[in-house]
Amino acid sequence: MQSDPPAQLPGGVARIPDRDEAELAARARAGDRAAFGTLVERFAPQARRIARAVLQNPDDADDAAQDAFLSALVKLDQYDPRRPFGPWLMRIVANAATDRRRRRAVRQAEALEPELAGGGSRPDLDAERRALGERLRAALAQLPERRRLAVVLFDVEGYSHAEIADILSIPEGTARSEVFHARRTLRSLLQDWKEGE
Amino acid sequence: MEPSLPFDHRADPELGAALRAALEPADPAPFVARVLAQAELTRARRRDVPTWDILARWARAGIAAAVAAALVAGFAMGRAMQSRATLDDVMVASAGAGANALLSSPRAPDASVVFTSLVERER
Repeated sequence: MQSDPPAQLPGGVARIPDRDEAELAARARAGDRAAFGTLVERFAPQARRIARAVLQNPDDADDAAQDAFLSALVKLDQYDPRRPFGPWLMRIVANAATDRRRRRAVRQAEALEPELAGGGSRPDLDAERRALGERLRAALAQLPERRRLAVVLFDVEGYSHAEIADILSIPEGTARSEVFHARRTLRSLLQDWKEGE
Repeated sequence: MEPSLPFDHRADPELGAALRAALEPADPAPFVARVLAQAELTRARRRDVPTWDILARWARAGIAAAVAAALVAGFAMGRAMQSRATLDDVMVASAGAGANALLSSPRAPDASVVFTSLVERER
């Protein structure tokens, strides 16, 4: 039962040392624009993926991620520098995305592109990847929001169960359970995809 | 892909990579630029808000002081209006009978009245 975050995120992305994050956050809080810019650059891809996991629509996701960064800038005095910055920020991102989803009636059907239905000639590799991406997004959209956030935070962003529990404000056991159930659904989809190739 | 045990604590690289690719956002540079531009606006607004707050506080204090000053001035003016007296009233009140006759007479005083007034003053 580990809960320590890995030194490297999936995809080979190095995890930012916590002290570095805390220092950047402190400098940003003091009005250092460059420090805030560095934090935005470092966390933007992650924040946008998390927001997209909630909202599905990439434009909505970017709006939510932007809201989250601006909200974080205003709330920097509430950040505890003894704790890692990522989960604190991702909590704000998840809340911003959820708020936006509630405000706007996001039609999940929009995420389903008709490309999937295409049979005919064998698509090239890019088209295959695109189609797999579409299927995964469609499968994610079928999952309850918390479950889809949990699996993305765990398998894509490399957060521990404890950190996910903190981000989603749920018990750690529930975070584990959510990741497990989401994985089961998504792995089954991936398996079907591979067998269908 | 190996089926995992319940609550497997290890990240699944294959699923993670597939999900990452599915959720990968477009070019980050425009997004970062957009966020930083908005952050500048937010900072500017935050700088402005305290200024307006201070001005509002000053305005409130100023209005209260002006009202108080107006009340005091009004009260003082009212008192002054009530107690306004002419020079003649004052002199008549403080003078004796000779001076009284000298001041209140509609006609030009004769020498006896002037003399009486001077004698009273000497006393």
